[in-house]
Amino acid sequence: MATDGSNPEDLGVGCLLSIKTTYGDEFEAQLITFDRLSNMLVLQEPSKPEDPLRNIRMLKANYIKEFIFLGQEDNPVDPNICFVDLSALQAREEAAIRQAELEAERIGVGVTSEAQSIFDALSKTLPVRWDKTVIVVMDEVRISSPYLPESVIGGTPAANERVKKVVELERKRLQLRRTSGQ
Amino acid sequence: MGCRSREFFSNDSSSSSSLCEALLFATMYIIGLPVDVHVKDGSVYSGIFHTASVDKDYGIILKKARMTKKGKGDTNVGKEGLIDTLVIESGDLVQVVAKGVMLPVDGVNGNMTGKDEEAAEHTACSAEKPKGSLMDDKMQVNQSRQDEYDMVKGQTGDCRQEFEFAKGKIVEKVQGHSSSPETDACRAQVEFSEHGHAYMTSKPSGNGSYSAPKSVKANDQCCEKSNLVNFAATNIAEVVDHVSESHNMSAKSAPRSTESMKNAKEFKLNPAAKVFSPSFVNPISVTPAGPPVTTIANMAYLPNSSSAVPIAAIQSEVGFNTLVSRPSLPVKVAQYGNLTAANGGNGSQFTQPIVGQLMHRTQPVRFAAHYNPVLSEPTYMQPSSAVVVGRSGQLVYVHPVTHDLVHGAPAISPVPPRPLLNMNQVQFPKQQGGTVGQVMPLCVPPPVLATGQQPFALQNHIPVLQPSLPATRPIPVLGLNGFYGTKF
Repeated sequence: MATDGSNPEDLGVGCLLSIKTTYGDEFEAQLITFDRLSNMLVLQEPSKPEDPLRNIRMLKANYIKEFIFLGQEDNPVDPNICFVDLSALQAREEAAIRQAELEAERIGVGVTSEAQSIFDALSKTLPVRWDKTVIVVMDEVRISSPYLPESVIGGTPAANERVKKVVELERKRLQLRRTSGQ
Repeated sequence: MGCRSREFFSNDSSSSSSLCEALLFATMYIIGLPVDVHVKDGSVYSGIFHTASVDKDYGIILKKARMTKKGKGDTNVGKEGLIDTLVIESGDLVQVVAKGVMLPVDGVNGNMTGKDEEAAEHTACSAEKPKGSLMDDKMQVNQSRQDEYDMVKGQTGDCRQEFEFAKGKIVEKVQGHSSSPETDACRAQVEFSEHGHAYMTSKPSGNGSYSAPKSVKANDQCCEKSNLVNFAATNIAEVVDHVSESHNMSAKSAPRSTESMKNAKEFKLNPAAKVFSPSFVNPISVTPAGPPVTTIANMAYLPNSSSAVPIAAIQSEVGFNTLVSRPSLPVKVAQYGNLTAANGGNGSQFTQPIVGQLMHRTQPVRFAAHYNPVLSEPTYMQPSSAVVVGRSGQLVYVHPVTHDLVHGAPAISPVPPRPLLNMNQVQFPKQQGGTVGQVMPLCVPPPVLATGQQPFALQNHIPVLQPSLPATRPIPVLGLNGFYGTKF
């Protein structure tokens, strides 16, 4: 079998390859298919023994720096019998998008990681959201930079107190982590 | 190369045809999964795999993407922030990595479920394989559906066709059924192709085509987009019928409302679509009974020479200029005092609705309905359809050449004004004759009666007019304030 990589399409589908890309990525994968028109390879990385899930890569053949033929296996994917469930795909995508949106809301843009940690800590027990760089808790209490207990403004005194306490605790925790981590 | 869809359907098991197919399959399989995309300059973007353009080259679209690794180059995408829709063209694409998936093997649906779907799918596949002649139809059907979503017409990349066909397999099943997986599939297919093809086209040529208003039936939507590709509705109907016959659809309940809502959602997702010229027929079945439906062809139509004033401006392929209402013609229609006022401000909006084929296909439709003041806002234009949907409570009535209405339709009886059906509800009478299978979308905007009293009301059902008129005959529009668009 040729290992010069000049004719990848000559190799059959299902063969195991160790590929190195022009960006330095190296991985082992099984060739699922190759599309000449778009020059795309579809590869499947081997799965771990316990884990049935694997990674799928679609790589443009131009970026293969070199590859080594490792062996040949049966084609794991027979297009004639495979199918996709479009409705499930749709649902999955929607769920993923919703999730991503939710997560995006949780991340403040242009805030320090410290602020983000405080936000995350608060969000465990309180409804929080970002308003630019201000953390808004329960829609009443606002914490602006530098996110100290003193920066907590607004809300009912009880809510304010509660938020202040959480901020304090979280700061302490961060401090500990920082000092212990170093 | 690689993708020979026709071979696939003729049971050719040549490896080259299956290659492309496998790529398409893999592509579809990772939809909705979080992927990492490596691009030419070394950057890595993570996002949800939304769709791919597989026409000639492989480009992709991610949703909710962010840059996770910065490469050497300067890109227009910053490191911070979430990108709602990220298009990565083929020239920039290096690698797409989807982690933690399991490809289905031997008919096992990796992370999908449902043997039923498998069976149905297989049935679909096997049933359609031998039908080589059907494929073209299906391609067209798929294309027509895609057109709904701003697809570029005429794209005939093999891979894409096959891709579409693969989707079409499931989509086809939807036709004529209200079961959820199919409708979802149809939706999925449509949406799937929407972005992909919008991406491919990179021009708003097809922007006008978008999904019908909510009330459109699922199967209608799936079947009957015929705008850009000039797809004959008959083909769709034939294909659909054929497919329906040949498959055993699993009877899963699919709420049509979901489909409708989904379509409405799609509709909203593509706001640009509203603005453009009509490009598709919006078939809606006429419902004779039910809530007071004033199915009205919302056609703003201004005959060149007539003094009749179209309620809403319509762009018509025939060249009729549509106008905002001008209450001048004595028409049976109830007076619409607010017509002028309403239209005045909305004149510009009326360019959207299109009388479309009604104009030039002579599908005069008689609508028994309440007449509403001018349609303030057409929802979309349909060049090929006779009816324009208007959003406001105004409606324009497209009257057939017959002058019944003009001259005092005896059938009309005064009724108290009552709210029309939901604005977006459109009913389409099936057109007979000339445009087989094409339906005219009708707009049934809620009646907004300035005066509050309609001089008359038509029955709710919409009789279908015989296509006795020549195609180029303008459809008289029953305008507000008693306008009657005379044909000329």
